[in-house]
Amino acid sequence: MIHLLHYVNSYISSGGGEAEKESMYDIVMHHLTDHVISTGFIGKINEQYLSTKLFGIFDMRITRWVLMMWIAALLCLIVFIPIARKVKKAKNGSRSKWVNLWEVLISFVHDEVVEPNFDHHYVKKAMPYFCSIFFFVLFCNLLGMIPGMSTATGNLAVTGGLAMLTLAGMIGVGMIKQGPFGYWAGLVPHGVPAFVIPLMFPIEIIGLFIKPFALTIRLFANMTAGHVVIIIFLYLVMMFQSYWVGIGSVTGSLMIYLLELLVAFIQAYIFAVLSAMFIGSSMHAH
Amino acid sequence: MEVLKEGLLKVDPGLFLWTVITFLVLALILWKAAWRPIVDALDARAEKVRGDIETAEKNRLESERLFNQHKEMMDKAKEEAAHIIAEGKSDAEGLKNSIVEKANSEAKDLVERAKKEISLAKDKAVTELKAEVVYLSTEIAAKLIAKNLNPNDQKAFIEDALAKIRTVQ
Repeated sequence: MIHLLHYVNSYISSGGGEAEKESMYDIVMHHLTDHVISTGFIGKINEQYLSTKLFGIFDMRITRWVLMMWIAALLCLIVFIPIARKVKKAKNGSRSKWVNLWEVLISFVHDEVVEPNFDHHYVKKAMPYFCSIFFFVLFCNLLGMIPGMSTATGNLAVTGGLAMLTLAGMIGVGMIKQGPFGYWAGLVPHGVPAFVIPLMFPIEIIGLFIKPFALTIRLFANMTAGHVVIIIFLYLVMMFQSYWVGIGSVTGSLMIYLLELLVAFIQAYIFAVLSAMFIGSSMHAH
Repeated sequence: MEVLKEGLLKVDPGLFLWTVITFLVLALILWKAAWRPIVDALDARAEKVRGDIETAEKNRLESERLFNQHKEMMDKAKEEAAHIIAEGKSDAEGLKNSIVEKANSEAKDLVERAKKEISLAKDKAVTELKAEVVYLSTEIAAKLIAKNLNPNDQKAFIEDALAKIRTVQ
């Protein structure tokens, strides 16, 4: 309940003050789009060192979303490096609930994400990447659930970046395992009639790129949609200026908030498991 | 393409690059500092648990085997004990019977001997008595003779005495 109060509070204090002037679209855009940070220490760094575009296209100024990603990454480091030490120290399993909680999640990644999609002796090699992607996405997702924070994964550039790494993984692993040419030749399934190959090859190439594209859109849309619904529920209070609507919409947004907590886990899992599936299947020709 | 430049669907190349950089750095640090030790430790533990289960299974089978062996031995021991008890019982019975028999026969012997001794003693006594009687009779006869009894009286005396001796006998 305290979280909910904070949550409502943060939305009302940041967007509700000028509710009469701001349209719903503005509020949604304010909460769900990126802003370059122009104040404080980071603002100064942005102005002094990062104001010119890298290679003319990459605007490297630190934005709110970049900051959120860094916080998520930092949380990962803060959580997992001590966990690693404790796990290593406790040969028969730690008694600590905190350690066991993360162990369960790591085992979950191992059993549900990596193991079904990789050959036995590659599981250990694949674990670091998929653990990283699962927990990074999970932390980004959950960070957005904290009032005052934002969901970095609710942005196409972020999810696109992660999906691009999956694509690079697919192509890279495929080319290493099947040979640079074998991989591209293996895209077309064996046993298709020769005259279909010119047709199949472009389709498979498109399919190759559609996979990470779908990853991008799925994570982005899932993380954005819930926030939009929560904001709209809360905006109803400002629209109708009535206590009864307030009770209903706060309850509604609480429900969506809980659903979002679930979605945060599910989407992190889906992103990791689909990445594993794509990369794992690129190890062998179809 | 206009929609990618502004609004919700905006794809900012800078943010894209930051994402890739952030994630790669994070993955690299965690790989070295966290995932490798954790996965190693978890694998080692899983291996240990598997080994422990195997050992436990082996121990279970071993103990079952020992238990069966033990049970067999117990059964055998019980049987043996029963056998020994039965043997002891029959031995004791035999011994008892022989002892009783022996005792009986000994008692019989004893009685027999006693009877024999008694009869011997009686015979001896009778013989002695007879001798005494003869002696007494002779004495009496001598006395009577000395007194000069008539032959009839004498005869009556002797016959009387003899009759008396006969009743004693």
